Amino acid sequence: MFWTPVLITAGINSIIALGLYITMSSGPLSVAHAALAGMGGYLGAVLTTNFGWPFALAILAGVLLGLVTGMLLGLLIVRMNELVAGLTTLGFGETMAVIAFNIDYIGGANAFTGIPLRTTLPLVYAVLAVILFVAWRYDHSRLGYAARATRDSPVTADAMGINITWVKSITFGIGAAIAALGGVLRAHYILVQGPEDMGFFISVGFLIFVVFGGSYVFWGPLFGAMTLTILPELLRFSTKDRFIIYGVLLTVMVILRPQGFITRRSMR
Amino acid sequence: MDLFFQQVLNGLMIGSTYAVVALGFSLVFSVMRVVNMAHPEFFMAGAFGAYLTIRYVTTNFFGVLAGGMLVAAIVGLVVERLAIRPVRGRYVMIPFIATSGVGIALQHLAERVFGSDPVAIPPVVPTVSYTLGPLSVTRMQLVTFAIAAILMLGLRYYVRNTKWGRATRAVAERPDVAAAFGVDVNFVSRLTIGISALMAGAAGVSIGILYTSAWAFMGLLYGLKSFVCMLVAGNRHIEGVMAIGLLLGVLEALVSGYITSTLRDAVAFGVLVVVLVFKPNGLFGSYSV
Amino acid sequence: MSLLLRVKDLEVSYGAVPAVKRVALEVPAGEIRAILGANGAGKSSTIKAILGLVKARGTIELEGRPIHGVPTHRIHQLGVAWVPEGRQLFSTLTVHENLEMGAFARGDGPRFASRVDEMFTLFPRLRERRGQLAGSLSGGEQQMLAIARALISEPRLLIMDEPSLGLAPKVVQSLFEQIQAINARGLSILMVEQNARQALKIAHYAYLLEVGRLAAEGTSAALMASEDVQRVYLGG
Repeated sequence: MFWTPVLITAGINSIIALGLYITMSSGPLSVAHAALAGMGGYLGAVLTTNFGWPFALAILAGVLLGLVTGMLLGLLIVRMNELVAGLTTLGFGETMAVIAFNIDYIGGANAFTGIPLRTTLPLVYAVLAVILFVAWRYDHSRLGYAARATRDSPVTADAMGINITWVKSITFGIGAAIAALGGVLRAHYILVQGPEDMGFFISVGFLIFVVFGGSYVFWGPLFGAMTLTILPELLRFSTKDRFIIYGVLLTVMVILRPQGFITRRSMR
Repeated sequence: MDLFFQQVLNGLMIGSTYAVVALGFSLVFSVMRVVNMAHPEFFMAGAFGAYLTIRYVTTNFFGVLAGGMLVAAIVGLVVERLAIRPVRGRYVMIPFIATSGVGIALQHLAERVFGSDPVAIPPVVPTVSYTLGPLSVTRMQLVTFAIAAILMLGLRYYVRNTKWGRATRAVAERPDVAAAFGVDVNFVSRLTIGISALMAGAAGVSIGILYTSAWAFMGLLYGLKSFVCMLVAGNRHIEGVMAIGLLLGVLEALVSGYITSTLRDAVAFGVLVVVLVFKPNGLFGSYSV
Repeated sequence: MSLLLRVKDLEVSYGAVPAVKRVALEVPAGEIRAILGANGAGKSSTIKAILGLVKARGTIELEGRPIHGVPTHRIHQLGVAWVPEGRQLFSTLTVHENLEMGAFARGDGPRFASRVDEMFTLFPRLRERRGQLAGSLSGGEQQMLAIARALISEPRLLIMDEPSLGLAPKVVQSLFEQIQAINARGLSILMVEQNARQALKIAHYAYLLEVGRLAAEGTSAALMASEDVQRVYLGG
């Protein structure tokens, strides 16, 4: 089917975008999520390819890696103001990409290849459905409210007894874990995992899914990722042009409608 | 020991360009409270401007420098008009995202126009080496350092001793009050972006000639390192950012020489993490957003 | 008598919250007029609207010329100088540099040098400190510098926002004497003050704002005797 690749990619992008959404729900802007996804991808790929692990366990390993890394990152940026935090995630992502570039065991500049195909369309959408359910429950959970309170007014949140450090750290962790999950799926679909998928641009790509789609409700990132993955295919844009459009779209969107396409109000 | 001094020398040369780029970025942040994520593209525009100047206009070094800086300044004013002016004064992440968008569009536009492979820049400065005992340095390295030094000292003089420099400091501190005493704050903002673009552009020309190539994505790594410089140094004193830029260059050169050159680019982030964990406001403070 | 400043039907809102509702005031040439009221009454918002620092609706005329919508820096060039609430000096600039900023619109020719001299004669303590950073001055000295910074541009209208804020009573006393002396030389002054007693001593006429509306207005004598003012804050 012609549409399979596009739909799989759109599904994976949606998963990672939702991860970013959860991380950003407590405040920080992250441009490290592509790197986090990549890390998951690398770990999962090495485990299945070199060690013959079952796919499910490889996924689990990736998710755990994402969770731990994300929580550590979250802890690191807790005391920073948003700008510094954002730039730190930038640095983290780029550094991970550089490190991946330089480790020959995982392929270095030539990327890690030979990954077995494990990801199928039904699997991706089953996982997506699960993640959507998780995001929905998250939005209405105590943690979700605490996260949004922390983002909107840290001082008030603190005064209400919310442990900001814990909230930021765990939301970053969960978001990173989901991104890593997406990364494992991706690696086992594209069958190649390389450092160029971990950089700033790709991360900004996910960011634009969230900003464009709407960063306040979980349907937003889904809409953003789906639309912005499928539309360029429909219009037959090449990758280079795609990023020019992404860049322009990001700028225009954030100036004219910073809350994104789908807001809480438009859901009523 | 010779290796040490040689690397320190090399590091200072490159570090001077980090400092120049970081200064422009830091200046815009201080005056306009905007993180201009498209700042690295001014650097890239300078390098391509140099390439175009050499190809179509002149191979005279000063002409090339002027051409590169001019292109960078034009890009700067375009970015200011499209992504900064409409969102100044709003919640700080919005200009961050808006300029990120423009930056990415510019990078890929450059890729579209010039191709994904680096474009060769013919040497317009003769490759002459000078030796000082066991140390050697090329003419272009010296030129790079000299340009950087002139720009930084010039900026310092401008900010401290001229009417508009004073006005810039006033706007950085209290834009409303500055306006109430006759300062056109929009003009000062445009001026500041223009200056930051000229400086980054000059650094781009230098690096383009030094490494004989220009590439659509060359700004990214430079941008990251200059952001690190600004974060580590804090943005209160010009001198702090300058010093950290030089220091970063030296540190990278030493790591390259003694440990491994492949980890060179990770040095910046390592330093950043260490410093920010202990002093979230930078070494010389302060960050008011 | 010519009107230096005329404000009519002024309305200022911050988002959905109205801060100033249909305020009208005038400053005839050569007078000191005061705006009184408690915290949050809308006094500073009125000033900011006149200066073009916040969006507002209504009529604002300077010497008959409408200035509503004119950018702030142009308003200064038309002869309006501001002594902001809390001084708001450029603390990273020296005393002398603050004065240079005050004269920014006028240039720094020989006229500037003689104006600086006049300011130092008016406020001798500043002369000794001319090279010091403005942030390092005492409260009273900062107030002097803030006024000097405003006066140095030879304005036609001086707008002062809470000049007595944070100053010791003795300092306030001499400050108001100085304001009166400045006015005696012909400068028109619009003053926002919480210290109604001091303000009414030197003002010719005053306006009382309450929750954004004009509650009362009149000559100082009339207001000092009025119940409204007594009620609001002369201790009544």
